[in-house]
Parts: sequence; structure tokens; C-alpha cells
Amino acid sequence: MENFSAYLLLALRLLLALALYAFLGWTFYIIWRDLRQQAESLTHLRVPPLLISQIGENGLGEQLRFTAPEIVIGRHPNCEWVLANETVSTKHARLLFHHDQWWLEDLHSRNGTFLNEQILTSPVVLANDDRVRCGQVNFDIRFEELSKK
Amino acid sequence: MNVAQAIRRWMPASNSASLIRLAGLFLGFYALALTLAPAVRDRSFDGLSELNWGHWFGMLMWAVSFYFLDRRIRKELPNRDVFIVPLVAILSGWGLLTIWRLTPFFGFRQTLWLGLGTAFFILALRYKNEILNALRRYKYLWLLAGFLLTALTFLFGTNPSGIGPDLWLGCCGIYFQPSEPLKLLLIIYLAAYLADRQPLMSGLVPLLAPTVLMAGIALMLLLVQRDLGTAWVFVFIYTILIYVASGKRRVLVSSLLTLALALIAGYFLVGLVHARIDSWINPWLDPSGSSYQIVQGLLALAAGGIFGRGPGLGSPGFVPVSHSDFIFTSIAEESGLIGAIALLLIVLLLSLRALRISLLARDAYQRYLAVGVCAYLASQSLLIVGGNIRMLPLTGVTLPFVSYGGSSLLTSFVALLLLCLVSNETVNRATPVSRTRTTQGVGAGLLVAFGIAALICGWWAVTRGPDLLTRNDNARRSLSDRYVPRGAFLDRNGQLLSETIGEGGNYQRQYLHPELSSVLGYTHPNFGQAGFESGLDPILRGEEFQPALDLWLNHVLYGQPSPGLDIRLSLDLKLEQQAAELLANEAGAAVVLNASNGEILGMISQPTFDSNNLNENWETLLDSSGSPLLNRATQGAYPTGTALGPFLLAAARAQSTIPDPPAELSFAVDDLQLECVRQPLDAAVWSELVAAACPGALAELGIALGGENLLALFDDLGFYTAPALDLDLRAQTMPSTLERPGNAGVGRDELRISPLQMALAAAALTHYGQMPAPQIALEVETVEGGWRQLQPEGEPVQALNNTLAQATAQNLASATLPIWEVTGRAIGDDGQIYIWYLAGTLSEQTEEGEARSVVILLESDKPALALSIGQALLLAAMGQ
Repeated sequence: MENFSAYLLLALRLLLALALYAFLGWTFYIIWRDLRQQAESLTHLRVPPLLISQIGENGLGEQLRFTAPEIVIGRHPNCEWVLANETVSTKHARLLFHHDQWWLEDLHSRNGTFLNEQILTSPVVLANDDRVRCGQVNFDIRFEELSKK
Repeated sequence: MNVAQAIRRWMPASNSASLIRLAGLFLGFYALALTLAPAVRDRSFDGLSELNWGHWFGMLMWAVSFYFLDRRIRKELPNRDVFIVPLVAILSGWGLLTIWRLTPFFGFRQTLWLGLGTAFFILALRYKNEILNALRRYKYLWLLAGFLLTALTFLFGTNPSGIGPDLWLGCCGIYFQPSEPLKLLLIIYLAAYLADRQPLMSGLVPLLAPTVLMAGIALMLLLVQRDLGTAWVFVFIYTILIYVASGKRRVLVSSLLTLALALIAGYFLVGLVHARIDSWINPWLDPSGSSYQIVQGLLALAAGGIFGRGPGLGSPGFVPVSHSDFIFTSIAEESGLIGAIALLLIVLLLSLRALRISLLARDAYQRYLAVGVCAYLASQSLLIVGGNIRMLPLTGVTLPFVSYGGSSLLTSFVALLLLCLVSNETVNRATPVSRTRTTQGVGAGLLVAFGIAALICGWWAVTRGPDLLTRNDNARRSLSDRYVPRGAFLDRNGQLLSETIGEGGNYQRQYLHPELSSVLGYTHPNFGQAGFESGLDPILRGEEFQPALDLWLNHVLYGQPSPGLDIRLSLDLKLEQQAAELLANEAGAAVVLNASNGEILGMISQPTFDSNNLNENWETLLDSSGSPLLNRATQGAYPTGTALGPFLLAAARAQSTIPDPPAELSFAVDDLQLECVRQPLDAAVWSELVAAACPGALAELGIALGGENLLALFDDLGFYTAPALDLDLRAQTMPSTLERPGNAGVGRDELRISPLQMALAAAALTHYGQMPAPQIALEVETVEGGWRQLQPEGEPVQALNNTLAQATAQNLASATLPIWEVTGRAIGDDGQIYIWYLAGTLSEQTEEGEARSVVILLESDKPALALSIGQALLLAAMGQ
């Protein structure tokens, strides 16, 4: 029994070390959980798909559907939408979804990007049925309605 | 209800509340352990009043403070970063309890400061919408007020502790250090200024000119006041803020260069800086003076080890100012490396959260505010922790939230308020960051710095720890001596020589036979250890011959060794008393050996002292010309003189190089005329010339043997080897040649040996040429109560030819007694005359195991006295 207090104190020391690291562990767990939640909310971010149809001499062409949040338009094969037209630069323009809206941005193209025949100088928000021109290529943009969940 | 449900209920959804509860759990266990600590220390339980209770007041104040603080802040600032308040809560609680444990008086004051800080915080939350703007608008006013307050310390400055720089204002027990809030005022000024100028930024120089002026004034104030630590923190805050604002790496480079230059200049110009840097680079040079604090701090780290000594069970109070500057080592000693690393992690997390808040801040002003607070917390923590663990030179700043100090705690709470306010206004669409790399750089730098600090803590606590703890200036050893009984010394017949008396907590060493003090030595809390008390300390202290489980349990439970074990020595108390009596008025030494097995039967050194009265006599003993603290028998280094005749004769006979007896018996050397110790009865008989120690004859023998043979002989006799005893003994190193063998023969060369070495050589002559290994500790008591035999450290050596040794001893036989004997005279460099008397039993008349040899050394020219003492002791020993 002489050692009773010493063993009791040893148990307390173990407990306090456990509590200390539980504190740290819980802190790290919450930080990690927030990170995961943020990552998940970003991956599940729902982007309204874009419907793009080229406007040729015979009116509207085939309708293309894009679901990615970022679409680069240009002649380069890596672009999401490849336009084989010499008036289009290699990377001509970009469509970007953020802050709940689709934005159009010119990527310093040689022949310019036009929204409803207005030349672009800074990123602008797109509206349904907007007309965009890259070089000499015209196209029409529509958003697909997101199904209500 | 199962455990998981219980935990879930107890850990509420609100993250900050659950974290604060965990912190409270940790602190509660800590406080309980502190309460119990006195009972564990004394290893007894004498009622509740013996336990520690005071710190529960601090614990209560902590719980109330953070309960209300968290409740208010959840309501007022719902958007804030949830981690910073819990992190601050655990830091300040840990610090508070540690301060209570170190000095209850300071603990009480810190408790009040904590309550005050919290009250201020809650009050300030009412003005949450105005504070940041008011600070920004009147930035010059605030900074000037800070300057004024700091400048006032030139006129009215005091220092509450009485010594050191006068950095405080106040009186009547309440003091305030203006340089603490000045740090925050500088951060506010810089953040406001940089944010206002940001859009107009044209170049670095016009941008920085006013800030350099303001920071320069602040720096000058601090430097003149010798508040170097705060000056460092200023430089760090300034550098990091400008770096983050400008994104220019050359800011970092030039700041580092300036710091290095300032350090070098300070090293050569300012005494204080010089001393600090010296004791940083090499603290071991002056461990009791200028680097006392840092060495003691490292000892505290080492004592903590990995798991720590436990709350209230360490001795962090040995480090000066442990409640303030050195609170980190106090925590590390009692919570160990795991605690120290946890503390570093908490501070690092707090700094990184501040950095994250800055990234999400609403505007540039708030961003710089958060960066500044981060720089302040991180740099100050790193400075003082780094100073404690010898990573950086020591500067006297506080560990934010942890160290004792009202101004420091209040300032830290204001910093916390700023962080909470800024983080509450963070928005998803934060103001764009043009250069994220600067923030990343600061964050990476913090990670690296804290990582290095953790590694260095591990180095001191684990790698270097065991070595450090054996240092003499580790007061924990003598403290544990008061709580753990030390083993006793018994003589060979079981008579007590020294023992430990008293009760647990107040054990004292008692030396029953003071005349043996020079030999047995002492163990003393202030003066260290000496003699066999030092040599056999691991056994007496209970570190050796203990069951591993006992050792481990005692270490884990108490941080102390097991109760020590008794040792039965080879000394014979009666013989010792007789020798002490015979030598009473002489300076000299006597050694009596069992020549067969090397057991030391008698060993005396005179003049001696009394180990019981060291406190009263220490200064006198140190200054005394007779060197009473020296054990002449083992530590003395005497010229051999004409005492080596028997060995020379035996060696010459072995080489068959016995010259003719010389005509001239005296010998002239170095302006001295050496004479025989007595007239030889027959000048034609070699053994008679040796017995009379005639220098002329011995010189002839030396020359006949030659330098090489002499060196080999001296080496065989162990004159160049320290006797294998558990004492820190030293021997001369063997020279490569002996130039003058004649001089060596009469002992007029460099050779110096101790009486013990001479006695072992005499034992070889006595016992078939075999030199035994000396032994002092015969048996050790076992934990179960029996005795366990110990073996001598060394091995016996065949030093002389068996038959020639016997024959030579027989030639030197006394006319009246059954012994061989020889008396020699030596003259020291200062002209001091020494007399050696060597004697031993004759092998033909002795049973195996009963061979004895004796050596007397007198520091005066009294050959007859040496002979009578030696004969008396040898005869007494033969009776054994």
C-alpha cells in the first residue's frame, strides 16, 4: 500500500497524456474533416452543362454538350473544344463556371473574342442564348436546366 | 448507454466547446496529479492537509473564464476560427498550473491576471464592430502612446525582481511592462499603414521610409533599455510583415544580414550580448556562472526524458526564473518529451491558424493584422523555447499565454481578440492574394523551425540525457539522496564504517570513523563526492545489483533509484585504527595488502579531515597546505627514491647482469649527495646494499640493467598503469626512453607513483612474483538480504620471476622478524624528503593466502619511524 499514491499518480499521468493527445488528435481530426468536407463539396459542385452550337452559313449546326466546369476553346488538340479555323488562336477563349455563373474570358487571342458582337476586355458573365464569336467562328450558348433534387 | 454514446454526448457538436472540454480534462488530471504529488514524494500519506490544494483555485478560475469566454464568443463571433480559443485555453491552463506548482505566490497572481484578461476580452466583444477600425484610424496615436509609455521606463522604470533591466512601470505590487503591448501597437500601425499604401505602391524605398522610422524608434527604445529579446521579436514582426506585403525576397535577405551584423557588432561591443552568445556557443565552460541557467535548463530537459517525471515530481525549481523565462524546461521536465512536443504542436497550430486567417481576411489591413499576430506569437515562442534548449542564444522573453507575467498575458489576450475579430469577418470571396508564395513561405518556415526545436528537445531528453544527469551540478542526485536510503559501508568483519540515518525526506550520511575520511571519502549535496563513496556510488545509490523491475518501477514511479545496497569492504577496522594512531602526527600514507589476492586490508592517509563536518570546514580544508582532502595512498604521486632496490636486484638477476659491488656507496646527482639510509653491515653483499638503500649501488644496478630493461620492469610493476579500482585514478604515461638509467636506479628521474602502486609491487615480491589485482569491495548485500561476492576489477600479473622474487625477498629478510623489508629515501623537486618503507611476509614461512605486504610513506626524513610503523602494521596484519 505504500506505493498506492505513486501508482495512482502514474495512472493520472497516463490519463493526462491521453487527454493531451486526444485534444491534439481531435484538433487534427476536425481540421481534416473540414478539408474533406470542402473537397467533397467542391467535387459535388453541380455545374449546369453547356449546350454549344456552331452557327454556320446554313444556320445552327450540331449541338455539343459540355459538363466540365472549365472549357477552353482553340485550335490546340488539348482544348476541350477544338476549332480547326485559322482565325482561331491555339488557345482562344475560356468558359469558366464559378460563383454560380458561367464566365467567358478571352485568352489574349489574336482576332479577339466577341460577346453579342462586343469585344471582350475582361471576363463577363454569360446569359442564356448569348452569341459568341471567336475569330470568324460564331456560336450560340445555352445552359441546360439542372434537375431539382 | 454505451461508451460511444457517452463520449458523443459529452463532446458537443460545437467544435470549440468539445475541444475546451478535452483541455479541461487534461488540466483536471494534471491538477489532481499535482495534488497527490507530495504524498508520492514523501512516499507516505499523512492526511489531506499534506497535499497541494492551492492550484485548484487557478483551475476553477480557468474553467469559469473559458466557459464564459467560449459562450460569449460563440454568440458574438459565430464565424470565427473555432480552434484558436481552445488552443489558447490549453496553453494558458497548462502554464497556470505549472506556475502554481513552481511558486504558489506567482500562481495566485497569474490566476487573477487570467480572470482579468478574460473579463477584458468579454467586455471588448461588445465593441466588436468598432475595435478594428478605431485601431486603424488612430494608428499613429496608438504607436506614440506606446512609445511614451516605454520611454517612461527611463524615468520611472523598476524591476519587480530587484535585479536586471528596469523594464517595468508601477508600484505597490502591480507592475506593467510597456514593451509587451508595444509589440501589438507596432503590428497595428504597420498593418494599417501598409494597407493604406498598398494601391499606391511604387517602390520599396518610399513605401518603407515611415515604417523604418517608426520601427527604428521602437528598436532604439528597447536597445537602450537592454530589452534584447523584445528587440528580436520586433525585427521578426517587421520583417515578416514587410515580406508578406511586398513579396520581395530581398526583404528577408537584408533583414537576416542586418541581424547577423547586429549580432556580430553586439558580440564585440556590448558585454551582455557577448556573455549571452558565449554561453550559447559553449555553456559547459562556465556551468556555475554565466551559463548556469542554460545548463540547469538542459539538465531539467534531460531529467524529464521521454515521459517526464510527472506533475509535481520533478525539480524544475533548480532552474532560475523557471516560472517565466524557463517555463518550457519546467514543463518538459514534468511532462517529458511527449509533453514538450505537444506544447510545440499547440503553439505551431495556433500560428498556422493565424496564418490561415490572414489568407481568408476580408481586406489587406486585416490580413496584415493576422500575419503580424502570427509573427508575434511564433517568433516569441521560438525565441524563448530556442533559448531554453540551446537552439538560439538566450533572450529573456515570455512564452505567450504560458509564462508568468500580467503584461504578457494581457497582451496575448489582445492578440487573441484581434485574431477572433479578423477571423469572424473572413468571407468566401476573400480579397485576392497577389502573392500566396509569401504566406506559404512563412508557413513552411514555421514548420521547419518548430520541427528543429522538437528534434533538439529529443536530443537533450533522450540522446544526451543519461550522460547529462550524472553531472555533479545536477542537484537532483543529492535531492534523491534525501529521499532514498543509501547503502552502508562495513569493514571486512561486518563493523559499520559509514551509514545513512534519518527518515525519508531527510536522510543524512554519518561517518562513524572520521579518521578514515580521506580513504572512504564523502557524499555531500554541495561538495559532491570523493573517495570510495564516489567510486562505489552506483551500488550505494541503488543503481546496480538491483532487479530490473525494481529499478524500472522506482524510476517510473518516483524518478529515483532503488534503496541502496550495503557493501562489505576489505578494510579491517582494527588495523585502520591502529594505522591512524601510529601515523597520527605525520603527513603520509600507509597501505596494507593481502599479497595473495590483492584485498586492501588497511589504507590510511594523513593529515585527514572529518567527513561529518564538511559544511563548517570546507573553505579551510580547500586552502589547507597539508591537502587533507587528498587520499595520499591512491592519489599521491611520489618519487620512488632508493626504495626500488629489491625490484632492480631481482630484475638484474633475471638478466644475469649483476655488476661488482661499487666502492662508492653514496651518489652525487643534480647537486645532491645521496647517502645510504643506514650503514650496510657488509658492503660486499648486494642484498645488504639494497636493504640499506645505498644509492651508489642502486645506480650501478640501474646502469647495468639499462634504460630499456628498466622501462620494462617499471611497466611490469604497474607503475604506468592506474590500479584497477573503482576510483578515478591516474598513472603516469610511459616515456619512450629512459635516458639516464643510473639516475632512474636511485629514483632521480621523472617517475612518480602512489603508495598503492608501490604496495602492489611489494605484493609481487612477497607472493611468487605475482602482482595481484587490488580489491576493496568484497561483497554486496542482495535485495533478498543475503550477500553476493564481488570480483576484483583487474587480473593478477606475473610481474617478477617467481624464484628470483622469492630469493630476493629471502635475501632481504629481517634479522628478528619473519619478514623482508627495505627502507628508501626520496627527494622531491622542491627538496622535500620522503621515506618509503616496503615490507612483506616470506613465502617459505607463510601459508597460501596469508601473504601480506605493507608500504609506508612519510613526508619527512624519519626512516626509523617508518620502519616501526610498518613492522607493527605488518605484524598486526599477519595475525589476520
